[in-house]
Amino acid sequence: MAVADQAPVVGTLTFVRLKLRLMVNGLRGRGWRVALFVLGIVFGAGFAVAGYAIFAVPGLLRDLRVAGMLIPLAGAAIVLGWLFLPLVFFGVDESLDPARFALLPLRRGTLIRGMLAAALVGVPAIATLVATLGMVDAAARLGGPLAAGVQLLGIVLGLLLCAAVSRAVTSAFATALRSRRARDLATVLLAVVAALLGPIQLLALAGAQRADWDRIGDVAAVVGWTPFGAAYSMGLDVIAGRAWAVPLKLMIVLATLGVLLWWWSATLERAMLGAATAARSSTDRGGAPVAQLLLPFLPGTRFGALVSRETRYWWRETRRRASLITFSVVGVFLPVTMAVTGTGASGMLLFVGALAAVGLANQFGYEGSAYAANMVAGVPGRVELHSRVAGYAVYVAPLLLTIAVVLGVVTGRPATIPSLLGTLAAAFGTGLAAVLPISVRGAYALPDTTNPFALSSGGGLAKGLLSFGALFAAVVCTIPIQVAAYFLGPVWLWVGLPVGLLYGTAAYLIGLNMAANLLDRRMPELLTTITPR
Amino acid sequence: MSLRGLVKRFDTTVAVAGLDLDVPAGSFYGLLGPNGAGKTTTLSMAVGLLRPDAGQARILGYDVWADPVRAKRLLGVLPDGVRMFDRLSGTELLAYHGLLRGMDTATVDQRSRELLDVLELGAGNRTLVVDYSAGMKKKIGLACALLHAPRLLVLDEPFEAVDPVSAALIRDILQRYVAGGGTVIFSSHVMAVVERLCSHVAIMAEGSVRLQGTLQSVRGDRSLEDVFVQVVGGRIATGSELAWL
Repeated sequence: MAVADQAPVVGTLTFVRLKLRLMVNGLRGRGWRVALFVLGIVFGAGFAVAGYAIFAVPGLLRDLRVAGMLIPLAGAAIVLGWLFLPLVFFGVDESLDPARFALLPLRRGTLIRGMLAAALVGVPAIATLVATLGMVDAAARLGGPLAAGVQLLGIVLGLLLCAAVSRAVTSAFATALRSRRARDLATVLLAVVAALLGPIQLLALAGAQRADWDRIGDVAAVVGWTPFGAAYSMGLDVIAGRAWAVPLKLMIVLATLGVLLWWWSATLERAMLGAATAARSSTDRGGAPVAQLLLPFLPGTRFGALVSRETRYWWRETRRRASLITFSVVGVFLPVTMAVTGTGASGMLLFVGALAAVGLANQFGYEGSAYAANMVAGVPGRVELHSRVAGYAVYVAPLLLTIAVVLGVVTGRPATIPSLLGTLAAAFGTGLAAVLPISVRGAYALPDTTNPFALSSGGGLAKGLLSFGALFAAVVCTIPIQVAAYFLGPVWLWVGLPVGLLYGTAAYLIGLNMAANLLDRRMPELLTTITPR
Repeated sequence: MSLRGLVKRFDTTVAVAGLDLDVPAGSFYGLLGPNGAGKTTTLSMAVGLLRPDAGQARILGYDVWADPVRAKRLLGVLPDGVRMFDRLSGTELLAYHGLLRGMDTATVDQRSRELLDVLELGAGNRTLVVDYSAGMKKKIGLACALLHAPRLLVLDEPFEAVDPVSAALIRDILQRYVAGGGTVIFSSHVMAVVERLCSHVAIMAEGSVRLQGTLQSVRGDRSLEDVFVQVVGGRIATGSELAWL
């Protein structure tokens, strides 16, 4: 056996080319994917232009104080967005799955550099870069070319930080979730992190409300020294004559970047090895097979079997569990923070109710080709969808109840609990009406990995936008409820629950009908779209 | 089962090009073909999982695409390369399939226990199917396909990744099933198994059936492997290449 001795030369650009090739191939010959991709680009471009305009404003105003508040806080928000949006909404583009490189003779450094570069190729990264260029614009107007140059360095480092933080955290989280025992620990960790978001938001909102600009300035100055805002505030320091701060902040950013990359590479190693899932201990619990499958109180029928399977799947499948837990945390904290800071919690409730329904936006994608079993058994679309909603509701209904109770208690008005629940039910029902047809028509395949955040290549962002659209439609459709609540005042406290339930049920039934007809016509096509290639 | 003029294109490639196939009732039918011949595509279209671009598929007289409910009731399927609901334990999965087929709970319980017992999967085993070995997955898939006592079994590569003992067991089950009046069609590229089991064979290549009939009429006095290689026209020996091996 003769083996070539020379070390293979794999440049960073190879990874970028591979990513682009995967993107192009993913789009080829699929009209709707191209359309979604273009939609993603349009949204990205909108974000980029709006961001650029906002960041350039302090420069046009020649106001250093506004710049000092806006830029570090907005920069930190961007980094946090890169950290949390993939976890909550979009998932990470796993087209370059590290496991696929496991057999190739690549040094880890090469792999990390390559994958980081590949992560920078994409709509979100380019949109972020363009948006933050507005900061350079502002720095140039306020402090001349030197400040602009430093700020340019800052935003480039900031973008690297964004990419590294999102890859490292999702990679670590995914690796942690791979082994069953660590999974519960990781979910608790996520809950804690998400819970920390609450107080931060509270602080920010409280500050904004009192319009205490000096305090915001102080907060911004502090944020500027954290890894989140350091990269973006470097130009400001030059303008303000604190040039000595620049090397220090540079060190903060580089050290953070280094730690993140090290962390990423450590988790990547484990991801490549594909930590073996420990087999579940096979204890003999006995019981008849049907009794083992069915949840209590469910009949031994097709519907009972479907609901039981669906309910077990929401817990046993990591992707579903991750989405469930994320929603629980977001669902409880968002309205509570809004309520505590005094801004309209009821509008937030509509959002939360609809967000609960969005969990089903790609319900068929989760199990992939396993859906073939239901098709072979000839399950009609109506039964299929109804059972899926019922299985999901086993978790979501108590959660919505909890949200209503917590909110009622926190605001000190327990009498509002039934009407809050009514609002949530109405929003959940209309959300389902919007989401169910999308779950049939806009389903997409998830790759066959255990990474709960993996999305298949091509149009990941665009697919996320589709559920955003459903969310928006659902919130719009619940405006009548919002208006009724506003005008009926105290009467709403009494009629809110029945009216909300009725409204939600009616909307759900309409959506169910539409989606069921769609599913009956499109079962084989649906199976093809959700089968990972 | 009878297939008439089935066509399936994927983007630009033609996977199945006007395929006709007749599987007589009570036969043990082997569908042979090299990788990429279109076996899985054909069987998927025959059982209603993949919509053909043209053509007809009938199962015991019912059109799979016009009257899917009646056709699917008579059908048991073991797909290949398709995931199962693998976050259920084997026992739960069987119960799920039974209830999905509209069977009553007592029958589901009794048959599931028997199947788990015979296939040596253990009725009290709480291991999730996702943690099963490849052979065990095939066995539980077969059990799911058999549970509602279908008239026609469609099996895609039932012997792949199965150890010899389990393979012998599966063979025995299938032979009993055919002796009891059932019909089996399965795809494979293991000649020995097909030669031993089947009453009828069809050889596929490049999306169409090249040769079909009873095992005797296809094989003649040669071995099935010779006939297969000749029909498919593959290369079976190396020349001067690969000298570096």
